[in-house]
Amino acid sequence: MDNSIFQVYEDKIQSLEEEIKLLAEKYEDNQQESTFFSDEEILMSKKSFEREFWRESQGCESPSDLKAQLESLETDLSFLMKFTGIQFTSHFKKTMEKTRNRTVQKHRLSGNCHSLSFHLEFQLLEMQNKENVSVVVSDLSITMESGEDSDVSKFVSSIEEHGNLLAFFRSLSSYAEWYEHRKCTFLHFKAKYPDVVTLPEGLLGDYIILRNSKHSGFELMVVWKIHIDEEGRTTPLLDLLTKVPEQVLEWKMATIENAPTGFRSMLLLFGIEAAIENLIKVVSLEK
Amino acid sequence: MEPGRGGLTPDFSLAGEWRGKMEEGKAYSPHGVFAHLEMLEARAHEADVKEEEAKQQEEKLARLKARVQELTLQRDELQAKVDLQQKRQLEKEGVASDPAQPSAQAVLEWKIKRVKAMLQVFCLTGISGKLTKQGVCFCISTAYEGTYLDSYYLDLLTKPEVRILRHSIPIFIPLEQLAKKYLQTDIRRFLSVLSNHLNAYAARKYQADQLQEHFSDQIEGTLQTNSLCNLLVFNYNVPNKSKTFPFNVRLLYGDLCSSIPTKVTVSCTWISPLCSALAPHSKKALE
Repeated sequence: MDNSIFQVYEDKIQSLEEEIKLLAEKYEDNQQESTFFSDEEILMSKKSFEREFWRESQGCESPSDLKAQLESLETDLSFLMKFTGIQFTSHFKKTMEKTRNRTVQKHRLSGNCHSLSFHLEFQLLEMQNKENVSVVVSDLSITMESGEDSDVSKFVSSIEEHGNLLAFFRSLSSYAEWYEHRKCTFLHFKAKYPDVVTLPEGLLGDYIILRNSKHSGFELMVVWKIHIDEEGRTTPLLDLLTKVPEQVLEWKMATIENAPTGFRSMLLLFGIEAAIENLIKVVSLEK
Repeated sequence: MEPGRGGLTPDFSLAGEWRGKMEEGKAYSPHGVFAHLEMLEARAHEADVKEEEAKQQEEKLARLKARVQELTLQRDELQAKVDLQQKRQLEKEGVASDPAQPSAQAVLEWKIKRVKAMLQVFCLTGISGKLTKQGVCFCISTAYEGTYLDSYYLDLLTKPEVRILRHSIPIFIPLEQLAKKYLQTDIRRFLSVLSNHLNAYAARKYQADQLQEHFSDQIEGTLQTNSLCNLLVFNYNVPNKSKTFPFNVRLLYGDLCSSIPTKVTVSCTWISPLCSALAPHSKKALE
């Protein structure tokens, strides 16, 4: 039996489960919302809404104006998504508390930055002072695709602790760009030198192995980590590991030992892509 | 396997073929006969295994179908609950529950509201913006930990070449140098570095304000700082029994893209053995 049939049903189950989760949340929220306001408040709100509506309907915007406004806003949104690499796939907002000069909103936000997905939950407290509005993030919770990476989880914990949402997005952009760049570089070399380059962990792994089929037992491993510190500074870290048969090791000990140092020098001189390319060419040599 | 056909059907033809060869007078050793029987047995076993697998797959498919049915039912029930809830809410608010579809205008207004909410979320990322007739107007938000601070605007012309039309960046931020270095080649990098400067400045200023606000009883006089807030000087007193020890603190932020001081000098203006013992503690506390 074709596995794709199972896949269809499994996908359907997953989408139904997600739909149920969203509906359950919506139901809960509606239940809570209805308890937030008394009947008098609703009545007052209704009256003020009617007044506003009456005032607005005098100079009501035509559908063509609204269409133009929507197009303009969508163009801006599309531009920002392309420019920053951040795409929001879903956004849910709920008012938890509202007084004359204080508003608390709960946000749930999902999206991706380049090819890294994230999910955020946080509260936003807006306070109206005499001269300005202050906005404070609290109860920040972040789930990220590459959360199993210890650097990323340390960084995320630090961000959550301080509620530093802006720093999260700024660092995420930089980290995701490197992540994407590494993926594209690995893909490029795998396509260009399929006989030499292998990706044991696929495109999402952080290393590639270079081997020449004519020289069994000889392997070079290029490890490319993306380090992110607790401040959110992103640095690519590349290194070379060698696997050499014993007889060769005895014969060319110094050369093999110096290979990682040579690779680091090459990185500084030529940059990442050229350094890896040179390495592949060396591995591909017949003799 | 096709329904209604035995798993051993193909093997009989082989047995017939073997019998034919025997009749031809070609002598087969008993060993050959056993080997053939073993092969037939293996094929029969293989057919059984395949049949068992097919049965298991059918069972799995039935389970998946049942789960889909169950979830669909659950989803429909929840959807009905939510619809009923919303209907009741509308009735409570005195709005006639019209079963007709919402008007095109209402849909447009809802879409506009949704896109506007997404654009507002972009402000939380640190960079948002709007396309203009001549280019693009960026808004750079700043924050310290969870508190959002000032926003700065930068209106760029993109044709014939990228240049700054107007901006609200403070004069002491090295905007011109940054523009010379990055604006023509990499706008993203330009905005990122500019954002680093603005966020660091905003954080230094915010910390100075917080210090003044929360420790005004311990700080003597006013806190002295320059416009860039990268030099901070203040005096504070440490009471001890009958005497009060005056300290002078000088914080220097050597890195303009950082909100952490690079040099801290704590000096005591009242020389005594106790004072020299206290000084390292105050330095430690600041660090």
